[in-house]
Amino acid sequence: MLSGNRPKPFILKLWTFACSLKLAIALASAATALIMGGSLVMHYNPAIFTDMEQEIMGRWLPQAWSRAPLLVFWIPLSGLCVVMFALNTLCCLIDWLSRIRVRWRKTGEYLIHAGFILLTVAYLWGNLSGFRSGPHRLVAGDRMPIPGMPGYLLQLEEFTPQIEPSGRPLDMINKVALWKNDQRVAQKTVRINHPLVYNGLVILPSSYGQDIKGFRFHLQGSGFVDLVSGSRLPISSNLSLVVHRFLPDARQDKQGRVMKTGSRLNNPALQISLLGPSGTLWQGWYFLRQQLPEGITKAGVYLRPVEPVMTTFSLLTINRDPGDKMALTGGILISVGVIFAFFSFYRKRATGDRPEI
Amino acid sequence: MTMSKTLLFLLFAIYLMATCGYLLHIIWRRTIVATASLVLVIAGVSLHTALLVHRWWAAGYLPVTNLFATLFFFSWALALIYLYFELRYRIRATGLFVMLLNLILLAGALPRDTAVSALIPALDTPLFSLHIIFSFVGYAFFAMAFSIGTLYLFQVRLNTQLLPDLPTLRKINEEAIFLGFGLFTFCMVAGSIWAHIAWGHWFSWNIKSVWSVLVWMFYAGMCHAKFIRRWQGGVYAWLSIAGFGVVLFTYLGIGLLLESNHPLE
Repeated sequence: MLSGNRPKPFILKLWTFACSLKLAIALASAATALIMGGSLVMHYNPAIFTDMEQEIMGRWLPQAWSRAPLLVFWIPLSGLCVVMFALNTLCCLIDWLSRIRVRWRKTGEYLIHAGFILLTVAYLWGNLSGFRSGPHRLVAGDRMPIPGMPGYLLQLEEFTPQIEPSGRPLDMINKVALWKNDQRVAQKTVRINHPLVYNGLVILPSSYGQDIKGFRFHLQGSGFVDLVSGSRLPISSNLSLVVHRFLPDARQDKQGRVMKTGSRLNNPALQISLLGPSGTLWQGWYFLRQQLPEGITKAGVYLRPVEPVMTTFSLLTINRDPGDKMALTGGILISVGVIFAFFSFYRKRATGDRPEI
Repeated sequence: MTMSKTLLFLLFAIYLMATCGYLLHIIWRRTIVATASLVLVIAGVSLHTALLVHRWWAAGYLPVTNLFATLFFFSWALALIYLYFELRYRIRATGLFVMLLNLILLAGALPRDTAVSALIPALDTPLFSLHIIFSFVGYAFFAMAFSIGTLYLFQVRLNTQLLPDLPTLRKINEEAIFLGFGLFTFCMVAGSIWAHIAWGHWFSWNIKSVWSVLVWMFYAGMCHAKFIRRWQGGVYAWLSIAGFGVVLFTYLGIGLLLESNHPLE
């Protein structure tokens, strides 16, 4: 130990400074002031900040910086203050640990310190090496690769939206499975507030909607049939109808080319082939607002459009935060620390541990 | 489900009488008047609790999803916390300021629609209830600290027998800040876990979330500031007032003036 008269070595002075409460207050105040101002900049510049939640900070910030450096400079600056504040907190924690025998009554307070350090590290980890992706549009049976995780596939096995009689959406029930190299590694019914969590991955429902996938017809002599892209409809032993494509809103230009003009039901059309024993009898587009093409009626096929055939799709968000467990540990440590600190606060007051001025 | 306006006005009348009682206590300096005011506060908190429990039971969830409900809950928490400090420290005349603040909160709720709206699915989780309870009880402690901080500054100038002495006011202020910070920490932890399962990320850059972190950092700083000798007392009282300004902006300013994912209607 140092004697009272001898000057402190530089390294000890540096350590005292790194642990100092004044440094903590200065850094926390600087971060607070920057974030206060920045939050208002953020609010009044939605064009720059609106997509902030769609990406992790590590990806969003460089893009935003290239667009408007003067509006986002406060983020890395306040981040630096918070990181330095966390380092200061770490130094305090180490200092406390080195004197724990005489300062064990402060356990609660220092658990809060430890939790804060973990939260800062977890945020940095998650926002530098994680990802946010979606919403991804999937219908039941679809599989999609997980972005940024080769070998992983997400499969939507079933999807059922829950809707009140009044039409208010209640929930989105998604039965999903996670596959890794053709092996199912996780399966869960994902719904609001119940995501699939697997190794930092979080898969959760965002929304859902309906698409028109085809049309229902009345086929003379057979009843109702649904025709969608890829349908093959046997009409008789030697006659069948194949649907190549269905467009909910189509337009034909002067050259006769048919193109999609929208996804909403407006001018639906089917690209059809009528196959006979000797090959294709007729091929072309059938615009449902117009009469049945002559080539089809000549073959004795009479279709009458009834109603659109809808398919319900789910929109799923896939995020990955490798720091989530660390963040949870940090949150637990902070909570336990608060409970300990509550007890020690009243204990210290009861025993007069902290003298009044 | 709507709450009876009559009961709501009765509650307001009880708190108003308690506040008037504390005012009379300051003028007449009679202990019996202060005791009667305390009895009225106890009656008010009891009725307030009963109304809150009834709304919770009838709705099937903690109904704190609009401005009426949050003001109602905030007012209940503040009255309850005042009661705790009154019974613990016998702060008497201090009640005038705290109950006046409580009346302002409740007066803000009175003209609003008391109906409980249908719960949106994302809020249908116990984490939401925990987040809300800890948030408003934390806010109420900060409001208490604001009141005590203000009275501390009055006491420095007036040095009156009506208010508790400066060390007691400082002690209560520190306690209110410490308890408020602890409970607000629970609110933040519950909110982060909820955000993670509801939106897939535990920290959001939404302005409300950002300002909630600022509130947390501010009061974390205040828990440290009490160890700086020069800041004990007066500076700490001013910080309590400034902190409550941050709380008010986070609670009302953002909800009413700016758009956020925590709207107030």
